[in-house]
Amino acid sequence: MEQVQGFFSFLWDNLMQFAEFTGFANATWGHIAMILVALGFIALAIIKEYEPLLLIPIGFGIIIGNIPFVPGFQLGVYEEGSVMNYLYFGVIKGVYPPLIFLGVGAMTDFSALISNPKLMLIGAAAQLGIFGAYIAALQLGFTPSEAGAIGIIGGADGPTAIFLSSRLAPELLGAIAISAYSYMALVPVFQPPVMRLLTTKKERVIRMKPPRQVTQMEKILFPILGLLLTAFIVPSGLPLLGMLFFGNLLKESTVTKRLADTAKGPMIDIVTILIGLTVGASTQATTFLTTKSLGIFVLGAISFIVATAGGVLFVKFFNLFLKEGNKINPLIGNAGVSAVPDSARLSQMVGLEYDKTNHLLMHAMGPNVAGVIGSAVAAGILLSFLY
Amino acid sequence: MKKLLHITFLIAGISIVGFVVHAQNVEDLRINEVMLFNSDNYVDNFGQRSAWIEIMNTGYNSVNMENCYLTNDLNDLKKYRIPSGDPISIIPTRQFIVFLADMKTEHGTLHLNFTLDSINRFIALVSSNGKTILDSVTVPLLGSNQVYARTTDGGPIWCTSQYTTPNSTNEGQIEKTSPSEAFGAFDPSGFIMAIIAMSVVFISLIFLYRIFHAIGNANQRASRRKKAKEMAGQPIAHEDEVAGEVFAAISTALYLYETDKHDYESAIITIERVSKRYSPWSSKIYGLREMPPRIIQHQPKR
Repeated sequence: MEQVQGFFSFLWDNLMQFAEFTGFANATWGHIAMILVALGFIALAIIKEYEPLLLIPIGFGIIIGNIPFVPGFQLGVYEEGSVMNYLYFGVIKGVYPPLIFLGVGAMTDFSALISNPKLMLIGAAAQLGIFGAYIAALQLGFTPSEAGAIGIIGGADGPTAIFLSSRLAPELLGAIAISAYSYMALVPVFQPPVMRLLTTKKERVIRMKPPRQVTQMEKILFPILGLLLTAFIVPSGLPLLGMLFFGNLLKESTVTKRLADTAKGPMIDIVTILIGLTVGASTQATTFLTTKSLGIFVLGAISFIVATAGGVLFVKFFNLFLKEGNKINPLIGNAGVSAVPDSARLSQMVGLEYDKTNHLLMHAMGPNVAGVIGSAVAAGILLSFLY
Repeated sequence: MKKLLHITFLIAGISIVGFVVHAQNVEDLRINEVMLFNSDNYVDNFGQRSAWIEIMNTGYNSVNMENCYLTNDLNDLKKYRIPSGDPISIIPTRQFIVFLADMKTEHGTLHLNFTLDSINRFIALVSSNGKTILDSVTVPLLGSNQVYARTTDGGPIWCTSQYTTPNSTNEGQIEKTSPSEAFGAFDPSGFIMAIIAMSVVFISLIFLYRIFHAIGNANQRASRRKKAKEMAGQPIAHEDEVAGEVFAAISTALYLYETDKHDYESAIITIERVSKRYSPWSSKIYGLREMPPRIIQHQPKR
């Protein structure tokens, strides 16, 4: 009888221990809130098709990161020795972003920019969002390092945001990455009102000259000279700029088609999966649901709006110095924020609303890719001053 | 007998003095610097990183730490006893020793049998009697690679810093401001950063613009010259103005045509000879379509 009692008491103790280890026993409202956010991301990606390649890995990563568990079993992304921690290593050490840039370089056609190089300046002007958010973050009481990491959300470039925040403010990385990717997905919501507000009807129908033909030699020279010039000025941006231009040379040299195909195909896909999943998993409710995260989301929105306004207003200003016939349609100013190619697509869509035959896509791709270079340079500057 | 008594007193006296001197020396020890989360910092002889505790001998004599204790638990002051007989536990004057909180005592004297983390942040150095706490500190929650350290060696003020000085002096290092703090103090509003950074971004891209503007112009001039050479001697044909969209459509078609050609195709179209190979199963010789030869039975002639 005693033996049976002992067995049942042993069984009961173990069942109770098991119950204590389940997610139900350890769940908090924070975990549930984060899981709901994740489901929202996944729904946006599937139903609305907003950046599905990013929002689905991130959304699922948030669910993984917010399954409640008892710490100490090497499960969580922040627990040393856990599988997620090993995968997260590529984020905190800034390994993944340059690899993504390699793929981006191999995908990007800089012809639009080379044929009309003055569009590069729009990509520079749109970086105003980064520094607008930097100033606002300082006013809200963030430290200069944190402000720099938050400001880069305005660069509308997920890998750049992850790269910089892993250096300047690793504790804010999750919130910054989620904010950057969310706003990139919400570009169609944020940008058109700003574009319409800052332009006149007459400006929106400006027709731009068709881009001239670009020779293969120019396309090959662009990544080489681009790297030499930008990296000599801002060496701290080298990991991003180096990989971006290297990827582009693989594409444009035409003799390394296999390497370019790998960089823009399987490799970028693998890294996107890893970066999305681990960044999502890093948003554990305990570390993510803070007032700082809320501040980051507000500042992220400000930076996107300022960046869009910066690009559009710069085009208007630039037009003052351009002859009739050479003028630039200010609706392509928004594309300077990068968010390739969504913001360029928006220029096209908004442009077509006012003139059904005025196709702005090719022109908008110029500032769009210049924005990628501009945000990498801006990240390099912030690193060299604040790191 | 009297002589023996003198010797006994002498030995006892030396022992007491020795104990007092030893005790005084041990009291010169201070916990000087602590790191909780070491991801990119001090590496031990086994190439591994872990939380570490720096102890300093603030006195002007060497101190032997043997038989003293280190602990992270106020209820268990004898948690780790520093083994006797290891010369590594002797700290020369004004020098340092770093203990690693890695639970790997098999790696040697400097490796403790406890760890430090976000929960276990209390550290005490206890004398060899196992009761007297020589020095103790409760470390605030630190970030990765940050230390909690005395601003001056053995001094009373502690601070959190990203500058770490394991096995060396804290003087002038720990309180050094980081570049971001220095920049923040110089430019609290952020406007100077915005102006400088935007200028650098513009300068970089203006450089690129100027160079590719020049390259583009040179290219266009060269192609015009080439065209003119080709056209020289030929009757000039009048060309109607063609819209850019037409060129775009032609270019797109050409591009699609070019990119559509592959070295390796996903499907292979080939001609395979269809032959009817001989098989006894399909052989007409053995087929049953033919009527089997009739068996004629001959009646034996009688």
